[in-house]
Amino acid sequence: MLVMRRRAGESILIGEDIEIQIIHIGESRIKIGITAPKSVPVSMKEVKLVGQENLAAAQLRSVAALRHLLDRLIEGPTGGEK
Amino acid sequence: MVTTQTPPQRCDTRYFGPVDYDEQSVMLFPDGIPAFEQEQRFLALRQPINEPLVFLQSLANPNLCFATLPALSACPGYQLSMAPEDLDALGLEAGRQPAIGRDVLCLAILSLEENAPPTVNLLAPIVVNLHTLCGRQAIQTDSPYSHREVLPLREAACS
Repeated sequence: MLVMRRRAGESILIGEDIEIQIIHIGESRIKIGITAPKSVPVSMKEVKLVGQENLAAAQLRSVAALRHLLDRLIEGPTGGEK
Repeated sequence: MVTTQTPPQRCDTRYFGPVDYDEQSVMLFPDGIPAFEQEQRFLALRQPINEPLVFLQSLANPNLCFATLPALSACPGYQLSMAPEDLDALGLEAGRQPAIGRDVLCLAILSLEENAPPTVNLLAPIVVNLHTLCGRQAIQTDSPYSHREVLPLREAACS
């Protein structure tokens, strides 16, 4: 991984068309501005993780099997009252 | 939901055959959800036998249905930490987190892989404005939860 040090207001260029600007550096997060061609999708990494998880979740085959598992969890020694 | 003038409609569902529903109970997701951006209309299906599960059934695609748990059932101390953009997109008050149950419905999508305990996505719950029924999958900021929390949750995560 390439590591660069930048200050607020400074930028990084990726190729000819993509610019990443450090807009503001806060205590626990930074604000970044991204300029890229429309053809380049830009999203938070979490969106991809969540998308993959949604795809996996949509494959569920049987409600009965799920309910059985949950019932066992709830009735088990570590289960909650809810 | 109280039925008014509009006659009930019928849709096919992935798990429960045809189901009648009221147009006023349709939840609208203007941006869909990640990996299903084109799916904008969902029903929340509940059945006594499957409590506390809530099923999110797509109206456009009968084969698409998510099994979910209310976030507070999965994790009694669950707290929302929504980004300002998500609050804005759902028409929720800026500057404070919505109250689960009063302002919003908050559901965690369940996932089941073979030979593994079920997991819930508490990083990105489905949040629906109860007054407008507008919803989105809201990735939480500074969240202590992951998109794959194993059930039952470790006690520390919920306190």
